[in-house]
Amino acid sequence: MRARNRIAYGFLAPYLLIFAVFWIWPIIYSFYLSFLSTRAVPWTWAPHMNWGRLWIDPAFWNALRNTLVILFIQVPVMIALATLLAVLLNSQLLKARGIMRFAFFAPVVVGEVAYAAVFRLMFNADFGVINKILTGVGLPAVSWFSNPTAAMALIIMAVTWRWVGYNAIIILAGLQSIPDDVYEAATLDKVSKTKQFFFITLPLLRPIILVCVVLSVIGTMQLFAEPFLITNRGGPGGATETLGLFLYRQGFTVLNFGYASAVAYTIAGLAIIISLINFWLGRDPK
Amino acid sequence: MRVKLGCATLALCVAMGASGANAQSGELTIWSWNIAASSLEAVVEGFNAQYPDISVRVDDLGNQQVFDRLLAGCAAGGAGLPDIVSIENHEAEIFWAQFPDCFVNLRDLGYTEELASEFPDFKRTELEVGDAAYAMPWDSGPVVMFYRRDFYENAGVDPASIQTWDDFIEAGIAIAEANPGVTMTRADLNGDTEWVRMIGNEQGCGFFSDDGSAITVNQPGCVAALEKVKEMVDAGIMTAADWDEKIQANNAGTVASQMYGGWYEGTIRSTVPEDQHGLWGVYLMPSLDANGPRAANLGGSSLAITSASQNPEAAWAYVNYTLGTNEGQVTMLREYGLVPSLLSALDDPYVSEPLEFWGGQAVWVDILGTLDDVVPSRGTPFFGDADAIVQAAQTQYINGAFESAQAALDDAASQIALVTGLPIAE
Repeated sequence: MRARNRIAYGFLAPYLLIFAVFWIWPIIYSFYLSFLSTRAVPWTWAPHMNWGRLWIDPAFWNALRNTLVILFIQVPVMIALATLLAVLLNSQLLKARGIMRFAFFAPVVVGEVAYAAVFRLMFNADFGVINKILTGVGLPAVSWFSNPTAAMALIIMAVTWRWVGYNAIIILAGLQSIPDDVYEAATLDKVSKTKQFFFITLPLLRPIILVCVVLSVIGTMQLFAEPFLITNRGGPGGATETLGLFLYRQGFTVLNFGYASAVAYTIAGLAIIISLINFWLGRDPK
Repeated sequence: MRVKLGCATLALCVAMGASGANAQSGELTIWSWNIAASSLEAVVEGFNAQYPDISVRVDDLGNQQVFDRLLAGCAAGGAGLPDIVSIENHEAEIFWAQFPDCFVNLRDLGYTEELASEFPDFKRTELEVGDAAYAMPWDSGPVVMFYRRDFYENAGVDPASIQTWDDFIEAGIAIAEANPGVTMTRADLNGDTEWVRMIGNEQGCGFFSDDGSAITVNQPGCVAALEKVKEMVDAGIMTAADWDEKIQANNAGTVASQMYGGWYEGTIRSTVPEDQHGLWGVYLMPSLDANGPRAANLGGSSLAITSASQNPEAAWAYVNYTLGTNEGQVTMLREYGLVPSLLSALDDPYVSEPLEFWGGQAVWVDILGTLDDVVPSRGTPFFGDADAIVQAAQTQYINGAFESAQAALDDAASQIALVTGLPIAE
């Protein structure tokens, strides 16, 4: 190694050390843990116990199904809304754009605990404003926290509310990078605004939207705070328990670190697979 | 002479030892929740009269937070833990199974077998492993029905006539009709299995057998409990509410009855507005049939001292004063309605006093009268696993995903077997 490199690595050493201790080591150690039986001290070597249980554990499949439901409903809805919002925010007709952009971005800035508390109050079955509005217009009140389907809908709404503005800002940046002359040429050729959106805007936005989808997929795979805080730890009865919550419950409520590690590796594997599929679907057509 | 001298010296030593203990000083931190935390603060005054130099700070973290943070702290080798922690009995065994080194063996600090025998056996089994005692029993939770006298009277319902759960459902419909906007009762259907556990325990059924060696959640008592819960939900007399929402409903006067362990006495008394004083009363929980058992236990906690404590002797002094003396236990009963598990405290005159808040009813006579009939129910180290599974079965059954309660709990039992490796009892 040349002296220059040695000095460079010397400067990097503090960071690399911390990275090794707090990232690399836990990642390796948890892989090892996933092969142990951790139900009681002392922990023993039992490679089939956790990995075998994963396949036949209905609670794991329930968490996986819940996560996929959120993934396949919430992510497309949110990305569509975000794209629409970005186009609107980009409109020349819009006044006070800065304030508008901030207003839609603001939910991300709000702390999870604070907004979860507000959602819990708003959707409270007895006193909540949402049920007051529903009954006010003649619709039946919904028990948002007791009905499994309603609870899932609530989680999807909450996550969408929180992240749609964030994605809209990313897409907005993409919109602004599309050169004006493309639209000018299309307008001269008498292409309607709607067609311009579908045949110019969307194709040119494809890489940006792909980034948003990948980020959202990873976020959904790790979804934790909303079902933990809003529907009270994935309630009712596990109906909104996501993989992240399931992992937490195995690790820190029933203290089965081995199984929790196996679940963690499975989540990471799934996130990689789904992201690869995303990139494959979003690849440039040759 | 020499013998006498020896005795005198011994007595002197004991006396010095005792006064030495009183001269202890230091700061203690305790983790607890809700009124349990408040009652721990209430005894500090009496404790400081004996131990003026020990200052006590109680952190009210909330029930689930104490459990989560204690597990995390123990997993991290005791980092950030307080001196004393409150642990619910049915959740306790996972701590001793996973982290025996995280807690001080109270036997080493002076918790003798003689002291321990002052507590009922059903409170001790979960706290002692072999010769080690990791926690000292605190309160117990004999279940009763708390009710609003005025709402029942408006509907012409005499609580003494409610003997079975079917009576309760019938009364609930009448009460809702006579009191617009009032629901008969609330249960934490979304985040707990409390009602299934209470009725199940009444009928002699728990998640696990008494020795913790087999799964019993699909036995007839628990099945009947789950069936009754669904019947109540379907009849519209029971709606979901968590701990906080129940208190909101109490305060807003939108609920006619709440079933809980005796410790809920203090919660009601200390949280409802002034104009509800005298309007509440207590009756025994209904049963499946008219002559059936009407006693169960829900909750009840203990205090443990962590190995992270810098001052275990002072911590023991506080725990022993709070839980091991009538003075400490009765203070908590009087202030916040925590039911003493120290047997001698039950003879205190306060227990038989008619209480103004309860419309002149001597509620503690009624509540404590059921204690002898309570069947023990073992938590085991797998309580957390089992509870989550039964919660899911409960939600699915109530929402119609299972044909019968038996099918729901058979499914739950097989899942618990998968997770714990324990056999399902025949």
